Order: sequence, then structure tokens, then C-alpha cells
Amino acid sequence: MDTHTPAPKTAPEDTSGYPFLGRLFHQVDQPGRPNQIFRGLAGLCVLLFGLDFTYDKYGHFAVEYLPGVYGVFGLVMFTVMIFVAKAVRSLLKRPEGYYGDKSVDTEDYPADQLEKVNHNGA
Amino acid sequence: MALDLLPTSFIFLIGALVLLILPQGKPRAALLLLLPVAAAVQVLTLPLGTFAQTPFFGLTLDMMRVDKLSRVFALMFCLAAFLGNLYAWHVRDTIQQVAALLYAGSAIGAVFAGDLITLFFYWEGTALASVFLIWARRTEGAYHTGMRYLIVQISSGVILLAGTALFYSETGSLAFDRMTLGSLATWLMLLSFGIKCAFPLLNNWLQDSYPAATVTGTVILSAFTTKLAVYALARGFAGTEILIYVGAVMAVVPIFFALIENDLRRVLAYSLNSQLGFMVVGVGIGTEMALNGTASHAFASILYKALLFMTVGAVLFRTGTSKASELGGLYRTMPRTALFCLVGAASISAVPLFSGFVTKSLILDEAAAQHYPVIWAILIFASVGALAHSSIRVPFAAFFSRDSGKRPAEAPMHMQLAMGITALLCILIGVFPEPLYALLPYAVDAHPYTTGHVVAQLQLLAFALLAFGVLVRAGLYPTQTRGITLDTDWSYRRLFPWIITGVGQVVANTSNGFRSFWLRKLGRVIDGLYHSYGPEGRMARVWPTGAMVMWIAIVLGMTLVVSFAS
Repeated sequence: MDTHTPAPKTAPEDTSGYPFLGRLFHQVDQPGRPNQIFRGLAGLCVLLFGLDFTYDKYGHFAVEYLPGVYGVFGLVMFTVMIFVAKAVRSLLKRPEGYYGDKSVDTEDYPADQLEKVNHNGA
Repeated sequence: MALDLLPTSFIFLIGALVLLILPQGKPRAALLLLLPVAAAVQVLTLPLGTFAQTPFFGLTLDMMRVDKLSRVFALMFCLAAFLGNLYAWHVRDTIQQVAALLYAGSAIGAVFAGDLITLFFYWEGTALASVFLIWARRTEGAYHTGMRYLIVQISSGVILLAGTALFYSETGSLAFDRMTLGSLATWLMLLSFGIKCAFPLLNNWLQDSYPAATVTGTVILSAFTTKLAVYALARGFAGTEILIYVGAVMAVVPIFFALIENDLRRVLAYSLNSQLGFMVVGVGIGTEMALNGTASHAFASILYKALLFMTVGAVLFRTGTSKASELGGLYRTMPRTALFCLVGAASISAVPLFSGFVTKSLILDEAAAQHYPVIWAILIFASVGALAHSSIRVPFAAFFSRDSGKRPAEAPMHMQLAMGITALLCILIGVFPEPLYALLPYAVDAHPYTTGHVVAQLQLLAFALLAFGVLVRAGLYPTQTRGITLDTDWSYRRLFPWIITGVGQVVANTSNGFRSFWLRKLGRVIDGLYHSYGPEGRMARVWPTGAMVMWIAIVLGMTLVVSFAS
């Protein structure tokens, strides 16, 4: 088996068996850390917006001279894109067996071409 | 034949033959690494010019047209072959090994083709060799997918051949140089290139086939066919304005599919399609700087796209699935693969100091400089899309996000090595773009690391990430669910079979009705004749005389008609 049941959410996850880099990444998963990251990201956005006032802009189009225009574009476009994608999904999503049993979507990948090894060798 | 007169593709073709006599194992794996290195050395040492001209049925084939455009594409193919073969070090499947060599050799042969006949042969070579990387999965689904892939790829070649024949009859030339759209011949060639380049509505062979290939096959597939098509467009149709709009559509439409598809290898196939859009826009603009942008972005894209396919492939290799709905939290035990994935993600979304930043900006700046504001805005939108589907969704779904409970071992060492080298190249190109710029077809006068460029790009990415954070916190970010997404392959996998079955049903019913109608009529005539002339009929009483009189009357009547007619 390549999986095991994760520890209950109430108990702290035992990371002692993970590689060093895995334990480092796990810091991101600590309770409350996503909120900290979000606040840090918001701070970075404010900083980048402020930076727009500190240098002479050069652009091909007038819109490029507006402060924070790239940020606003990124924020709005990302949001629009996600909502459009959700609408597209409601139209075009189908179950995996839609094309019948001669499709790779319903097949398991051949086990003899894989090396499914558990982290601790189990 | 001296080595410098040997077409580079022959290094791979001869290598494939030598491979067959070597024992399976490290000798073969080593040869698979050695050949791309030898080819790259040859490409780098060859002077610019045309070599290996070969007579062919009264024509002269230019098998090695070496110029700066063909050289940079050949080098990126050598690099991709090396990295792909290193990633596939563990593979002991002769079919995949030979296919990988023939595929790379064909792609390089096509890049150096100076005439359309040579291009056609290698064009079909890429199709025939690459399909075995799909069939090598050895499942029924892969077999059917491979057949669909092969039909599309061979069709592209046949259309190219038709275009070549018409072009020769119109111009008397077979030279593969810049063409002007206007004749059927050139439109056919554009269509042929467009199929391989996955133009809108011609694209779905890519998303259908790449996720169906083997773990290593997908990595190799991702490098060659589509970039060869980009090269062919850059060579033949640079400055063709329609390509700007085709490229813009290509850059945008696949984004939405990439955001909702569940199979991460298919997500990356859509993402690849979107990146091709940038290159096609560059070809359409057609200026020296735009073509530099296309070539450099193809180079960078081969690397970061291969890196992303490698990381998802490693996940598939260790867990048996690449479906987002079944993955998550793998950073715990596959942290290096996760890190490499993040490097690929940073490269594709053009984070400063990563490769995409120094190549994508060439195309974006040129779109702006040539006064295409809408196209410029669309490409920036597509950059945000790259962040959304490849930089956030793929790492998030596979390595972070919820804990799937899977605890696979880290990728094998050779895969880590291949991913590590590729990741390092992505960073090196981003930090030191000058060596790549020096390889480009034209002199480069670009300064990607201006304050304005860097701040603008960081703003774009940081605010888009903020939007992601807000959507996740609000519960509006789409969850990973099982399923497939319909695309244009629905037409030939569902619609056309449905139409053909429906039409067949109507034809069969009509034919049956028609036949039974006339059979009933004929039956009644026979019954009537039987009634009169049968043993119980009236005429039976004078049967011999009556029958004789009837036949004489028929023969005389026919004689009369024949005599009258003649």
C-alpha cells in the first residue's frame, strides 16, 4: 500500500520521519500560518503599489502610467478568470467514464511501469 | 562521410540502430545521454551554411540548412532529449528508447530541413516515432488515444505534402523559406503547421494524447512536436498578421480548461497550449525582436514545461495517479520534487530571476512597441492565467492543499537529477539571460531587469496571488473534483460517431423499407403469373400452346424494337 490514514486533526502531526525540506515546508501548514501568509501578501501588495510612486515610469500606452495598474489588472483578471472557469466547468464537466471504457481516464496506470514506494519503505 | 557532413538527425537514427545491439541497462541508458550531447557539440561547431545536399529524383534536398534560427531550435531539442533521457534512465523498454531517439532525431532533422520534401519526411517521422511513447503504456485506452493522435499527426503531414506539391507546381521551388499567404498551397501548409502547433479548434490531439503517454513519454512529447511547429511557422510565416490573433486566442482559451481539468498532466497540456499562443503571436508580429522572443520563449518553455511534466510524472510514478482530486500534501515526503515544481511554476509565471521573465517580456514588449494594445493586454491576461493554472493549481493540488494521506517516497535519484538540472537552467536563464540571447536569430537589445519591468511583473503576480487568497478564504475557489472536460475531441469521439450511426440507421431503414416494398410488389406479380400460368391456372389448360405463343410474341416484339432502333 502506498497510503496510510493521516493522523487525526486534533493531534499535532508527527513530522519526525519527514525529510528536512519536508519539515521546512510543513511550517507553512501550521495552524494560523495561512492567515499570516495572507497578511504578508497583502503587505507586499501595498509595498509594490507604493513603489510605483518612486520611479519614472516608461510605457507604450497611457494606461501603464496609472499607479498600481498592473496590480489591479492582476487582481481583477484572476478573479474573473476563476468565475469564468467555474461557469465553463458547469457546462463542460462530465464523469470520467463519459467516453466509455476505451479511455485512459477510467484506467489505472499499469502497475508494472510504476515504482510505488512508501516513504519509510513500507 | 566526415562528421561535419553528417546530418545531425543521422546521429540519432544511427544511434537508435546501435542501441539495439547494446545490452539493456546502463550501456543503453548511457548511449541515450551521449547521443544528444554529441549532436549538440556538432550543432555548436558547425559553421552557418547549407550542407549535406542530396540528389533525390532530379531534385536536390538540403538536409542541413544551418542558420541562427535553426541552430537555436536544434540546440533546445538536443537539450530536451538529454534531459528527457536522463529522466527516463530507469526505463528498460526498447520501444520507448528507440522511439525517443527517432523522435528527437526527426524533430532536429525537420528543423535543419532546407526544402519542403525533407521537411515532410521528418515531419511524418516525428508523428510515427512519437506515437510509440503513447502506445508504450500498453493499455487499451492508450492504444485508442494513440490511434487518434496518429490520424491527426499523419493528416498534418498529408496536408503538408499536398501544399508542397501545389507550391511546386505554382512556383517551381521547393525551398522552405518565408512564404506569403494567398494561394491554396500556402494555406494548406499553414493548416498543416497549425495542426501540429495546436491552433484553436485543432488543438485537442495535444490534451488527448499527452496525458495518455507513459510517465517519461509525456516529458519527451512535451518538447518536440509543438516547438517544431513553432519553428516551421517562424521559418515560413513570420509576419503573417492573422497569426497574431490566432496566437492571442490560443493563449487565452486553454486557460479556462486548465483551471477545471482534474488530470494534472492534462492541465499542463492546456498550459503548454497557452504558452504556444505567446510564441505564435511573436511569429505573427514577425519583427526581429518578436522572432527573438518566440525562439527564446520556446527555449525557456521547453525547459519549464518539461520540469513541470517531470514533477507531475514523478508523482504519478510514486502514487499511480496524476489526478488532482486524489492528490495533495505530498510535500511532506516528496519535498525536492515539490521544490522543483515551484521552480517550474515560478518560471512559467515569469517571476523575476526565472526564465519566463526574460523571454516572455520580449514578446510582450514587442506587441506593445508594434502598437497592438489589445493583444498586449490579452498576453498579460494569459500571464495571469499561467500563474493561476500552472503556478498555483499544479503545486497546490499535488504538493500542498489538503492532505491526501499519501506518503510516497521521493522521486528516484535520476529523476531528481533531471529535475534539478532543468530547474537550475530555468534559474540560470532567468538570472543570466545573455548566453541565451546570444543564441537567438537576431541581435538582442533587451533589458528585462529595469525597475519598471520588475515592479510591474511583481505587482501583477502578487495581486493575482492576493485574489487567490481571497477566493480560497471566501470558499469561492473551485474544489478538485473527479471528471473530464469536454473539448473539441467530443466532435470526433461523440458527435461524428453519433451522426454516422444515425445516418447509417436512416440509410439502413430506408433501404430495408425500399427492398421490402419492391419484394412485396414482385411477390404479387409472381402470384398473379402463378395464378394464370401455374399448374392450376387458366392457361394451364393450353399451357404448351399458350406459353409458346407468349414467348414468340415477346421475341417478335423485341426484334421489332431492335430493328426500329437500328
